Formats: sequence, C-alpha cells, structure tokens
Amino acid sequence: MKESKILLFGFSRSAIEIGARLQAQGFEFTCIDNDASLMPRAKKLGFDLRITDYSDDEILIGLGIGEDVKFVFTLFEEDVHNVFLTLSIRSLDPKVQIVSTTHTKDAIHKLEIAGASTVLDPYQICGKRIYKLITQPEIMQVIDATIFGEEDINMEQITITSHSPLNGLLLNECYPTERYNMLLIGLHDKELKKEFVFITEGHNHKLDHGDILVVIGKSAEIERFKMDFSL
Amino acid sequence: MGYITSLFVRFAYFLDASSSYHRAKEFCRTLLEHQHSRLKFYFDIFMVILVVISVFFLLYEVKNPDGHPHLDTFVQFSLIIFVIEYLLRFWIHSDSHKIFLDRYEYAINNNLPFSLMRALLAIVKKKVEYVISPLAIIDLLAILPSYRPLRFLRIFLLFRIFKLFRYARSMKTFTAIITEKKFELFTLAIFASFVIFTGSSAIYIFETNQNPKINTLFDAVYWAIVTMGTVGYGDIVPVTTEGMVVSMILIILGVSTLAFLTSIIVSSFQNKLIELKESRLFAEVDKLEDYIVICGYGRVGEVVAKMLHEDGYKLVIIDNDAEKIKLAQQRGLIGIVADASKSRILGEIGVGKRASQIICATNSDELNVFITLTARSLSKQIIIIARVIKNTHKKKYFLAGANYAFSADETIGLMGAQYISQPISYAALDEMLTENTGVIFDIVTIHEHSCFVNQTVEALGLKEKRLILFGVLCKDNLLPFQFNPTPDFELQSHDMLIIMGRKHHINVLRKLNDKGSAR
Repeated sequence: MKESKILLFGFSRSAIEIGARLQAQGFEFTCIDNDASLMPRAKKLGFDLRITDYSDDEILIGLGIGEDVKFVFTLFEEDVHNVFLTLSIRSLDPKVQIVSTTHTKDAIHKLEIAGASTVLDPYQICGKRIYKLITQPEIMQVIDATIFGEEDINMEQITITSHSPLNGLLLNECYPTERYNMLLIGLHDKELKKEFVFITEGHNHKLDHGDILVVIGKSAEIERFKMDFSL
Repeated sequence: MGYITSLFVRFAYFLDASSSYHRAKEFCRTLLEHQHSRLKFYFDIFMVILVVISVFFLLYEVKNPDGHPHLDTFVQFSLIIFVIEYLLRFWIHSDSHKIFLDRYEYAINNNLPFSLMRALLAIVKKKVEYVISPLAIIDLLAILPSYRPLRFLRIFLLFRIFKLFRYARSMKTFTAIITEKKFELFTLAIFASFVIFTGSSAIYIFETNQNPKINTLFDAVYWAIVTMGTVGYGDIVPVTTEGMVVSMILIILGVSTLAFLTSIIVSSFQNKLIELKESRLFAEVDKLEDYIVICGYGRVGEVVAKMLHEDGYKLVIIDNDAEKIKLAQQRGLIGIVADASKSRILGEIGVGKRASQIICATNSDELNVFITLTARSLSKQIIIIARVIKNTHKKKYFLAGANYAFSADETIGLMGAQYISQPISYAALDEMLTENTGVIFDIVTIHEHSCFVNQTVEALGLKEKRLILFGVLCKDNLLPFQFNPTPDFELQSHDMLIIMGRKHHINVLRKLNDKGSAR
C-alpha cells in the first residue's frame, strides 16, 4: 500500500470533515485510530483507516514519521491523547507539521509546548462565529456564502515563480490584480520572517520569486491571472 | 326591557367603547398592580415613605396631644392619598361593565330573560370580594380611625404599618410562608391552645383559693401563657405543690411547642429563600430589553458571553449546571440555573417578548434542536443561532426554525484542509477569523445623505485609505452580494460596503460617510 504523506490521528467528527475536504482536493491521507469498531464507518466514507496502537513509537516510525510524513493532525476527543501524541511525534521528527485540536482552554498552551505547529480550538472558533453573527450578521453571511460556502469564490495562494513578469516589480506600481475580478488580500515574503502581511498595512513591496500572494476570487479568474503572469 | 335596564345597558356600552376610560383604568393598573412597571416602583416607594411618616406622627401625638399644624396638614394629605388609593383599588379590582355586558349578551343571544337585579348582584359580589380581602381590610383599618367619631379605633392606625405589605415584595414572601405552612401551624396552634387551656384550668382549680394573685380565669390563662413562653415574669408564682407540678409540665410542653414552631418556620424559609433568589434573578431579567439569551455555559457559551459582555451586550445565561452558573455570576453575568428545554423557563425569561436573540450552545444536538423549536414556537421574530454538534444534523436545525446553524467541525475541516494545500492562505484565513492582528471586516452602510451616494467605487479612494472593498450588499437588488465591484460601480443609499482593514482606517471612511458633505 502506498504510504500517504498526511496522517489523521483520531477518527473523530473533525477528522471526517477534514478528510472529506482533502478527498475532494485529491490529497491522499491515512486515518489512524485504535478503535476497530470505527472501521465500517471509514469504509463507507472511503477513508483509509488503520487500527493500531498509536502510543507506541515503533509504530509511529513504521507509519513513516521522521521519513516522508509531512503533515500530522491530532484530532482526538481527549486532550490527553492529543498532547501525548503531539509530543511523541515531535520527538521523532522536529520538522513535521502538526495540527492539533483541543477541547479545553488549558490544553492550548500544553499543545504548543508539546510542539504543535497550529492549534485549532473548535470552541473558540464556534464562539467567535456566534459573536460575529450577533455583532455583524451581514459580514458573516457573506463570508459563509463565499469563502466557506458553495459560491465559487475562494481564497488561494499564488507563489511567484522566477520566470514570472511579476518577479522584481514593486507591488504599488504593478498592482497586478486590477484587471481581474479578484482581490489581493496580502502576501507572504520569503525574506521576512512574518507569516502573513495584509495588503492594507500599506507596505510597498518588491515582489521576488518565492513570495506568496493570497487572493480571493472566482477560480476561473484566478486561473486566468496565473496564466497571464505565467505563475 | 324596562327603562332603567336600557339605561344601564347603554351606559355599559358607552364605557366599553370609551378609549379614555380604558386608558385611565390601564394606567391605574400599571400604577398599582403591574409587578414590573417602573411606575409602580416609584409609587411603592412614595407610599412606604408616607406610611412611615404617618406612623411616626402617631407616636409623636402620644406626648403632644395638641398636634402640630404642619403635621396636621400632612396627615390630612396622607389620608386623602390613602382614601384615593383604596377607591382606585376598589375600582380596578373588576370590570363591572364587562360583567354586566357578559350577562346581558348571554341573555340576548340565548333568548333568555335578562334580570337586572342578578347582574347587579354579580357586580356587587365581585366588589365585596375585594372589600373582604385581607389587604383591603388592612387598608380600610388604616383609614377609618382618622374619622373623628371612630377616634377610639386610633390604635388601628398602626395598621398602616401593615400596609407596607402591599409595597414590599419580600414582605409578601413572609406572608406566603405563613400561608404555605398553614396546616402545620394550625395543628400546632390547636395543640398549644389545648395545653394552655388545660394548664390554666388546672392552676385555676388548684390555686384560686390558696394564691392571692390568681383570682380570675384570665389570671390563670395569663400565667399559663407567660410560663409556656418561657418568659416567667414571676409576678404570679404557684404556691401549692400541685401548682408547681402543673408549671413544670407546662414549661416542658411550652419549650417543645416553641421548638416546633421555629423549625417549621425556618425550614419553610430555607425553601423559600432559593425561590426568592431565583425570583430576584427573574425580576432582573424582566427589567432588560432587547437582550441575548445564551443556553448552555460550556466552552462555546463562555467564549461568546465573554466577548459579547465586553461589547456591552445584555445577556442572560441559562444552564442546568449550578457550578457553571456560579462561574457566570462571578463574571458579572446574569445566570439562571434552569432546564432550557422547558418552554415555561424560556417563556419566563422573556423569549418571545423582550429577548431579541437566542443562542443554543449546549453540547447536545437533541437539546439544541429542542430549544430552537421551543424558541421558534414562542416567537416568530427572535433570531436563533445554534451550534451544531454533528454536521449531519444541520438540516434539522433549519427545519426547527434556526436562523443560523453551523458546526465547529466544519470550520475545522475547512481550515485543516486549507492548512495542507495552502498554508499561507490558511494564515490569512486564520487572521481574518480571529482578528488577532487588528485587521478586521466591517460594514459601512451608505446613508441617504451621504456624499457617497451615486458616486463610483473608485471615488471612495479606498486604496489610499488602506482599505480593501470585499464587496457590496445591495438592499433592493436582485443580486444581493456583489463581490469585488468594478471601479465604476455606482453606490446607492442603503448599500452596505464590506470593508477589510484596520479599525481606525475604517473609522476614517465611516466619518466621511457620516459627514455627508463633499470630500
């Protein structure tokens, strides 16, 4: 069986949601849990579920951690499992990306110490959304309909290649998205350490190859943009 | 139909049709009876002050029988107020014309003979009902002694103090306790009177001739009660052995009776205290307008409550876990321990009346759907936001009438997948959702008088203002959301601009919009 590069630990509801989206995007992934009764469910969804004891380091290495696994999700309902697993994986491979979910407030900090790259807090997210729905219902509806929803408006990242005409231009001079029905939200500069800079911060930016633009727009428009600038 | 009867009927119809009559009556009801009206609150305070001062005057009069000119005027004034209050209460106790018309219409519709006497009797009966109610009697006794020929009833002026019962809710609770324990107290009273009767007759029989202090049966009863109450003034003491035995038995029985009495009242008080506290909370909720109800104070509820509370929203939290509610109360929120699935509870906290939104954030889909359904059945307008636990149940929430329903797992799924395929746009999404960096989404609504009306998007100069126009929501357009409008897109009044940027940059735009003059 071909070893996939993404591992989803814990066959929980969030795992099913993430899995469904990955499946739709054509990624290959493997789910891991120690509860054999989940097998029929996974089969039905077409997921590759492996029943194994994930607390054993040998098995983790056997799954490819430290070798070709690039992304790991820890999605157990219990924080104890998540923290322990994060710690085990981090000790085996300092470079792998670990995304953890949490269910209590205290665990966020613990997961960060344990070495999680990103912690997703479903309660925080849920609470934030309810808050937004109450304070600014229109915005939330728009975001839900566009970025999250069915409407064909997506957020995408575009990496600038070395042979692109954009390479070496100043952002304020070219303003590349003007002639396309899409918005440039911000960018990620390879040289700057900061993860992401919103365009509204107003820095005039020299575009180099390797920089990443984040845009929102119809996928067709984004494709057109990519073609035109040979990205 | 006699002439008098037709006169009555016409008068009743006249009253029924008169809007000023109804308004006046409604006003008096708000003033005197509506539990939660502001008006009644001020009126109650005024009456309490009046009662207290008039009682003080009564005490002053004891040593100064000639009175004091100013105080006399005051007494006259308070008396007039009391009389008016009594008459108003008498008036609003029942709607006489309605009783009359009900009977009249019933008779007409069923071709029965209408008896004027019977109708009037029914009206009088209803009014007498008021006159003999305990609180009305107290009111009357507080007024009557001021009438000169009834001067001998002066002591009843003290009844004015009892009038306070009307105006203080906690006093009402005390009466409620007494009435609730009526049976126990009645049994005890019978027992006590039996003991007093036996004790006093025994001492009367044994000591009348030996003891110079006991001459009448009244002396004996007085002695028995003083002994039983463990007071024992010592003005009357038994002198015979039999008398001493009687007093010994009487003391023991007296102590046990008192102990019973205390325990009955204390235990009843304790039960009532919880209710009292709860009713205080409900009263607090009753004062709120346009608030948000949060069902379930788990992690989600906590996060939402915290953020909304900081923004100054009025919140009411219900959860059936007392610990969690305690936590909410410590944070300065109104929390009620209650089962949110009961429609009675939701109704009591004003869902369907004064609450504008309800958030179902418990950790069970069944409960959330149930609350959604209950809330929707109570009110058509209320905005219901529900948290979906299992994504497969989402449809049911909308069927139950939720305005918004979503699951955290769905968002997690989206973000997780995004993280893998596009980590940088994930970071952007994360920032946009959490707003940690200060870049936020906001709405600027174009006013009717704004300078932006009929201007193009280009004229807004958003780029120089460091803002991104995400899109425009048009109120009356067929296409409600216009993503990234072209620069020549013309803005109309009531359009909502969805803007991304830093808060102060957005505020600059908003100020321009508010100003209304040309830039």
